[in-house]
Amino acid sequence: MLYREALNKALDEMMSRDSSVVLLGEDIGFYGGNYKVTEGLYARYGEKRVIDTPIAENTIVGTAIGMAIGGLRPVAEIMTVNFSLIAFDQIVNQLAKIRYMSGGKITLPMVIRMPQGVAKQLAAQHSQSLERLFASIPGLRVLVASDATTAYYGLKFAISTDDPVIFLEHLLLYPEKMEIEEEKHFSPYRARIKKEGEGITIISYLKMLHDTLKAVPTIEKELDTTCEVIDLCSINPLDVETISKSVKKTKRLVVITEEPKTGSYANEILNKVLEEVFYELDAPPLKIGAEDVPTPYNRTLELASIPTPEKIAKQIIIWGRKHGI
Amino acid sequence: MNKSYAEQFYYLMKLGRVFELRAKEEYMKGNIGGFLHLAIGEEAVHVGSVLGFGKGDVFVHYREHVYALAKGIEPKYIMAELFGKITGVSKGKGGSMHLYDPKFNFYGGNAIVGAYIPHAVGTAFARKYMGDTTGVLVAFGDGATNSGNFFESINTASKWEVPVLFLCENNYYAIGTRIDRVSPFVDLYKKAKDYMPAKQVDGMNIFEVFDAVKKAKEYIESEGKPYFIEALTYRYEPHSITDTGDYRSPRELKIAKEKDPIENLKAIALREGLLTEDYIKFVDDKVKQIVEDAVEFAISSPEPPLEELYKDVFCEVCIDVVS
Amino acid sequence: MEYKITMPQLTDTMETGKIVRWLKKEGDFVEENEPILEVETDKAVMEVPSFRSGVLKEILVEEGEEVPVGTQIAIVQTEIEKKEETTPKETKEEKEEITISIPQESQEEGQKLPEGTASPSAKRLARELGIDIKIYQEKGLLPIPAHEKDIKELFYKNFFDKDALELIKRYSLSLEEIVKHLKKEKITKKDVLEFIQENNIPQILPISDIQLKVIENLKKSTSIPVFHIYEQIKTGNLPKVEDITLTVWIIKILGDTMQNHYRTRVKLEENIYKIYPNSNICIAVAIEEELFMPVIKKVNKKTLREIALELKILKEKAQSKRLSLDDITGSTFSISNLGMFDILSFDAIIPPQRVGIVAIGTQKRGKTKVTFSFDHRVINGREAALFVDEFKKRFTDTDYLNNLKEEPLNKDLSQS
Repeated sequence: MLYREALNKALDEMMSRDSSVVLLGEDIGFYGGNYKVTEGLYARYGEKRVIDTPIAENTIVGTAIGMAIGGLRPVAEIMTVNFSLIAFDQIVNQLAKIRYMSGGKITLPMVIRMPQGVAKQLAAQHSQSLERLFASIPGLRVLVASDATTAYYGLKFAISTDDPVIFLEHLLLYPEKMEIEEEKHFSPYRARIKKEGEGITIISYLKMLHDTLKAVPTIEKELDTTCEVIDLCSINPLDVETISKSVKKTKRLVVITEEPKTGSYANEILNKVLEEVFYELDAPPLKIGAEDVPTPYNRTLELASIPTPEKIAKQIIIWGRKHGI
Repeated sequence: MNKSYAEQFYYLMKLGRVFELRAKEEYMKGNIGGFLHLAIGEEAVHVGSVLGFGKGDVFVHYREHVYALAKGIEPKYIMAELFGKITGVSKGKGGSMHLYDPKFNFYGGNAIVGAYIPHAVGTAFARKYMGDTTGVLVAFGDGATNSGNFFESINTASKWEVPVLFLCENNYYAIGTRIDRVSPFVDLYKKAKDYMPAKQVDGMNIFEVFDAVKKAKEYIESEGKPYFIEALTYRYEPHSITDTGDYRSPRELKIAKEKDPIENLKAIALREGLLTEDYIKFVDDKVKQIVEDAVEFAISSPEPPLEELYKDVFCEVCIDVVS
Repeated sequence: MEYKITMPQLTDTMETGKIVRWLKKEGDFVEENEPILEVETDKAVMEVPSFRSGVLKEILVEEGEEVPVGTQIAIVQTEIEKKEETTPKETKEEKEEITISIPQESQEEGQKLPEGTASPSAKRLARELGIDIKIYQEKGLLPIPAHEKDIKELFYKNFFDKDALELIKRYSLSLEEIVKHLKKEKITKKDVLEFIQENNIPQILPISDIQLKVIENLKKSTSIPVFHIYEQIKTGNLPKVEDITLTVWIIKILGDTMQNHYRTRVKLEENIYKIYPNSNICIAVAIEEELFMPVIKKVNKKTLREIALELKILKEKAQSKRLSLDDITGSTFSISNLGMFDILSFDAIIPPQRVGIVAIGTQKRGKTKVTFSFDHRVINGREAALFVDEFKKRFTDTDYLNNLKEEPLNKDLSQS
């Protein structure tokens, strides 16, 4: 199974289970979706439930809010996170706030799905991660789907809950082969320990999680230690408990994101976790992220701007040696 | 036109006017904070459209007290909201610009110009999808017709064929900028006429507004398609309490006030025998009492408890697992 | 044009090969027949050449990986001039293994931290143990900054003498555990040894790749239906010849005997027997606990001296792990000699693809016990009995033995 097929399976299941679930977005119907996530659903559920919209992100989110007010459970696809900026008034001022401003009288059970991250040479306007923006808006749930399991169960949860959910995917994961691990009760807001270890806690998600896992054998060999790798799964709420527990064991924390380091979501993770574990630390925490530049087009520069398995390994090894591992 | 409508018109317009004047007074006393946008002068559009539209969802802008009253929300809950009290229609968390009550199909109260127009389109889609033919009313000012939200929405509603009545209240001013300074033409219905039936009415005459909206409602519900009405109106008050309003000449204001919608209604209704002086006196006394009671209710209502701060951000009964 | 390099079949028993080292890197030019990589088989490490000249465009299997024979391992771009600039292909991110270079001296210079600097957890532990970090750092007994493990080490060093610590490291023991267990002020090597014995703690020794291969092959051998013949040969009366050991005599006599018994020269393949004309014999050679099986070919045509010299060369090659493919393939019978260890007699396991093995014990009063093991799928009891009988009788055939003794050293060999 491919990562995108896990998303498709979740959409399909939820649509067949509940006729109030509708999809809307650019190119998602007749065309089948630019990344094929909605492939086959138009044929199965028709144009009233898989709705092609104009290229008007503001209105995609705006009409979805209206649909949710009117009793539906819309799943809006924004083609990539980059275009969500056009819809930011709807997301920040409307979606996140209406429940609160109405004293809880209006609920908006809806999802905005979108891929983010640096793919290959798409240049600055199409290569970015924005989880920090969504995370900082009270009223939004923010999930990140790093593998088929979190994609499948996470999206099913996002559709079934009554809160508005920002559901972030990664462009480069769509064609990746992976399987859904069956789970009886999936907790979408819990971080998941992907690999247990004793010496370093590494927090990551989306593509960076996969790059981290590639870097880990080298790190473990060079530093003669073991790494505990945690898939964050949920950006908001943040599972401080799971991370803190791990850091209390390893006494060392690394956070890896694809966002530029300044103001990245890693800061939030570090801050919240450090409040819990400061006196347990045996090394200053390490933050690994993209450079503080718009993503360049040139492939060499592009790779230089974001973390790669090699860079992750190198930075952690240098950091480890400097701080007594 | 029957008598009972005329009586309703007068009662709601008068209630709206007295309510807002009293709100202004309470604002000056410091009992109400933030922005307070008054609709004095525009009551014919607000009351006429809500009554003409009848049953159905309503999405409006931040100048919405009279709409909310016309929809049936009790004055005391609105006043309490203005006072920021827990008994307010939005538990004191929304304020003047954010009155919501799904019980009355009333969805705000939105403080971003034009941003809720797509919400109306979406809700109309949802209703139609679920087999409900009832239309949706969305009202916005002249300023909103210059925004992307407006154009995106008339395009989408027209293509999706959903029953939305777009009601533009053209009061000529977006805060302090007159519409001809920012729009190539001032007959705003022309902006929609290639997408859907579009028409202009005198917004200072409630009978005209009522009739036009009633017909539009019949059209959108029988055809399942959108409709556009531009109502020409005028706000006597500045944009909000904090605005001086000095961009309009005393002469312009004087001319506008001569067309006061309440006086207009009174004149027509008395002439036609739809209202009596006794009724008018009865209503005038009654709304005064209602508004006094509303203020009393608002003052005596408790503040929201501190724990209310964290409530209504997310669903509190949702289960955080899925299988 | 692209020329694909696949994992070569380098030995008869080889199923997979492990890439030891790429001798060229991506973008390098490689001449026709120039070695391009080293492969470790079940027997040895061998160089593999590229059969075309061109640019090594892409390495598909990284060093250290093991893949089945026939797996594509690299692509050589042919028809490219040597001088031509080649752009390295960007495949790094798709690769599973990553390569990184880390500067040796990663400590930043010129940033001297004050004494007393330590991580929060080190400080906490020091406080618990009553250690004043600053004092020890001034004495140079703790690094700046100090980490948790430094505090632990400092603390526990007080308990152990140097030899004891070394032993603890070798057994990967926990300092805390020993201190807790022994409850002594000063712990010596002797204490630790007692701790190890009392708790029966094993020392961990990793198995080498070649030894793993041997284990795998031996597992295959256990599926062969085997029978044994136990005999005693007279070895006390063999003529004395300088540099000719008992093993050499046995190799020669076994080789000559094999000539009269074709089933000992058979290789069993699916549905067929392959009968080879010469007596090719492999000898089990142990080097540093690892087992090698070099082959002496055409024993029937070689003199004692030739065999002795060849055996010496093969042993040296095994010692340096440079046995070639040719050195380890093509035998049908094996010898395993444990005579030098004062072993009376033993059974040996038949290596895969061989039909038999003879296990040689120690010479006692002019006699040596031998145990033959045969693959019953190739040799029946009767044939085996006749073969062993002839082998035994040759040790008492004085004419034959004297004749062997007289044969001179082959000229070609002496020159090499």
